[in-house]
Amino acid sequence: MMSDRPAPDIIMTAHGLTLRRDGVTLLDTVSAQIRRGSITLLLGHNGAGKTLLLNCLHGLIACDTGTISGPPLARQKMVFQKPIITRRTTSGHLRFLCPQLDDAARRDWLRRAEMDMRTDAPARMLSGGEQQKLALIGALAARPDILFLDEPTAHLDFAATKFVETMVREAHEQGMTIVMTSHNRAQAERLGEDVLLLDRGRIVETAPADRFFSAPSHPLAKQYLDHL
Amino acid sequence: MDILTPFQIALTLLASGDAELMGIIGLSLTVSLTAVLASLVIGLPMGALLATYRFPGRTALIVVSNTFLGMPPVVIGLLVYLLISRSGPLGFMGILYTPAAMMLAQTVLVLPISIALSRQAFESLNGEYAPLFQSLGLGRLDRIKALVFEARVALLTIGLACFGRAISEVGAVMIVGGNIRHSTRVMTTSIALATSMGELAFAMALGVVLLLVALTINIASQLLRHSFRNLGHDV
Repeated sequence: MMSDRPAPDIIMTAHGLTLRRDGVTLLDTVSAQIRRGSITLLLGHNGAGKTLLLNCLHGLIACDTGTISGPPLARQKMVFQKPIITRRTTSGHLRFLCPQLDDAARRDWLRRAEMDMRTDAPARMLSGGEQQKLALIGALAARPDILFLDEPTAHLDFAATKFVETMVREAHEQGMTIVMTSHNRAQAERLGEDVLLLDRGRIVETAPADRFFSAPSHPLAKQYLDHL
Repeated sequence: MDILTPFQIALTLLASGDAELMGIIGLSLTVSLTAVLASLVIGLPMGALLATYRFPGRTALIVVSNTFLGMPPVVIGLLVYLLISRSGPLGFMGILYTPAAMMLAQTVLVLPISIALSRQAFESLNGEYAPLFQSLGLGRLDRIKALVFEARVALLTIGLACFGRAISEVGAVMIVGGNIRHSTRVMTTSIALATSMGELAFAMALGVVLLLVALTINIASQLLRHSFRNLGHDV
């Protein structure tokens, strides 16, 4: 479904994405543009279709109709809400995620994640927060053009959340495009530049983050922010 | 003769390193280990392929493989006998009543176990890892390589299960090997023969060895599971 590259300031364009399963419309003619180098937040209640849209944009799920144009899969990375961890050591898992890293670079990334003392520990024995950090550095180390993060700080403590946000900001400063979902309003306001609000598989509002949080235009957006 | 006497004679035979007994044990281990190795080399890629890809004839392959899973060893022995007997399609190989024929029969016997259990292991892991593999853009070969690596504990257990089945089997090797002294006589066929001839001590000695092999397999399996559980494997 990937087609020609979009305009220079737009890294990814989705047009008319529709996905139905068992007679239920999960995504309904979703169209969106992701600005190059931006942090775009996909917001919405549980079941609104945020994760599904991320998966579609990343190419993990094929939509029934619609087109997506953007970087090739090799230039994209995704960090899942529940990291998928292999049965290897911490260092071995990082090598699997990003084979092009040499030993020194791998050690450096693990040191930055404060996991350098756990390089030989089984990755599946790490805590949830450590696994999430490992998944994140595995994605960042590959320096993708676009990074998808599905609720990257869900269930994380303050320190791990701070680490994730710091790494996201740093990657953003280096020009990486980030598309993420979050249920944390404070985090969304701290990080977000553009917001796409989803409701039952439809995009109901697209706006710059500051305007979305200060003066949302759609009634559902106001309602959503009241609940957040 | 009291029931303990055969055990005592058996231990004496084992301790003395009786040449014939050692030859039988050695041949049994060689035949079964070779058959297990061959079944894993053929069965693991087939299991991986069946678990990860849909292709025409896949269901038929699974049905055939599962059918052979419950096939009695004597029937397997008979099928292999028909294949390799002088008038059979593989008769030109001239391997009937040789250890090679026994290896072939045991390979056919344990191959379905190797395929079925590895397919199960790969299917489960593939379900878990598919989104990650897809996200990383892994090709077909890289996926199978990664799956085999991730399933390494399960595969060791599968190897042990195959070995347990092969070493304890009697019907197939009896038919295609002929139980020829100093040539194709293995532990199970020797036990059958010795028992029928009233040589209970000799039969018991081999029985004790088989028990020891089974015990070793179990201990090895438990140790492997334990050590890999410490590495975060769900075993």
